Amino acid sequence: MLFRLENLSHRYSDGTLALDDVSLSFAKGERIAMLGTNGSGKTTLLNHLNGILKPTAGTIYYEDKPLEYNAKALLGLRKRVGFVFQDPNDQLFAPTVKQDVAFGPLNLGYPQDKVKELVDEALKIVGMSEFTEKPPHFLSLGQKKRVALAGVLAMQPEVIIMDEPTANLDPRATSEILHLLLRLNKDSGITLILATHDVDMVPLFANRLYILNRGKIASEGTPKEIFSNAELIRNVNLRSPRITHLFEVLKKENNLPIDEQLPLTISEARKEILRLLEDKKQEN
Amino acid sequence: MAHSELYAQIDRHAYTNALSKCSPITKGFFALSALIISVSSPSIFVPITVFVVSTVLVLYFAKIPVHFYLDMLILPTIMLLLSCLFIALFFGYGQPLAEIGLPWFTWTIFKNGITLSVTTFLRVEGALSCLFFLVLTTSITDIFITLRRLKVPKVLVEMSLLIYRYIFVFLEVSAKMNTAQALRLGHAGFMKRIRSVALVAANLFIRTLEQGERTFIAMNARGYDGNMRVLEDLSHPRKAALLGIALFDVALVLLIFFTMNIGVV
Repeated sequence: MLFRLENLSHRYSDGTLALDDVSLSFAKGERIAMLGTNGSGKTTLLNHLNGILKPTAGTIYYEDKPLEYNAKALLGLRKRVGFVFQDPNDQLFAPTVKQDVAFGPLNLGYPQDKVKELVDEALKIVGMSEFTEKPPHFLSLGQKKRVALAGVLAMQPEVIIMDEPTANLDPRATSEILHLLLRLNKDSGITLILATHDVDMVPLFANRLYILNRGKIASEGTPKEIFSNAELIRNVNLRSPRITHLFEVLKKENNLPIDEQLPLTISEARKEILRLLEDKKQEN
Repeated sequence: MAHSELYAQIDRHAYTNALSKCSPITKGFFALSALIISVSSPSIFVPITVFVVSTVLVLYFAKIPVHFYLDMLILPTIMLLLSCLFIALFFGYGQPLAEIGLPWFTWTIFKNGITLSVTTFLRVEGALSCLFFLVLTTSITDIFITLRRLKVPKVLVEMSLLIYRYIFVFLEVSAKMNTAQALRLGHAGFMKRIRSVALVAANLFIRTLEQGERTFIAMNARGYDGNMRVLEDLSHPRKAALLGIALFDVALVLLIFFTMNIGVV
């Protein structure tokens, strides 16, 4: 296992118990979504994974070794586990895009030439090459997010953690980020862990997901497994993807002969509709 | 043009103008040396020369739009004109130019008062044009890297780098808060306005502290260890250009000596 969290708890200094006895594990190459409402503990959980927060109880193992919190060990961990923050303004601090992306690799002690190569490559991957010399305040939110991602990519991590990667983005920017992430996972085998409450995006992205509710893991499984349990989803104040909901209503209220396994995405829905039409034709 | 808008535009030009790739050391050397000579010149011809050369560099070589350059010049020039009018009317001694008899005293305008006023005006305009040249053609990144190379203390450079970046973030935040207040009639009346501004200021202060905390965490997450490293890819200054500027400065100083006794009136 790449990451293993054992009985992890985190209590903030003000007394709030943000994580309560959480145990979970991620394998290499997975695409994990942590799904939960605001305040469910997603961000707190993610912040533990590259040592931003230290658990108040429990242990985190990375490749079966418990995390250490001295400066050298943290630098090693942060090289391998990159973190993209929700608000790119928190992350982009340098006066130009290029300087910002170079920050991580320079901290790893690479020579200037190598850093330049890494920066160019990372910006190319996220499609921001033409903005190299621009200051961040000239960019749109979607562009800032991509630069923030490039800043992490330039450190050549094995795992990328993203907090709400699609929050506040327009539909096009959302789909761009999503495809970019899927490509990184497919081409470079980067393990992706992201926190979100965008339920429509989850089935398109994740191969496995955890539902967090009030600091505890409420459920774990593939999107199909999780979203077929409508009661659970409602109990944790989330909802099914719109398209799933539509088919649920059609099945329940209109008694359409829809498959037990409700479609989660547009393409699954399309298949199901075509199947229904085909069946109807054969009946006539 | 709103203030924040003007700042953003200056910044945009600094990154995109035709001279942005030219070495910041060359540009800085020209601007600062010409500025010092212009300000200290007793002759009116040197500041005029400096102004013309800087303006040609800004408009023709850096290709900054004329109207933008004029927009930048107009405000300080108005202030300067008022001050110089004051100098012309109330300063000076010796040879009078005009005497105006008022019922209770005679108001004298002196020749050297006028000379001082005109010289001051031109000196400052010359200096302004040099500064605008530097500001409009050199991006802040280049200036920071140059300062670092010139061995300016690291803390100073790093602080200004962060301050510069977050000025723009907080300009945006304060503009939003301001709009939010205006929409809830927070600006109806002088006293309300004062109160609203105070609220924005207090709120911004807290926000800056929070932002600082978050940025620090984000920097740590990318391996920040207290040393801020930057990518250095500046073009080196061309020797010929530096020599050319040095010769230009010598010419200016010579011009001072030849023309310093030519009065205005």
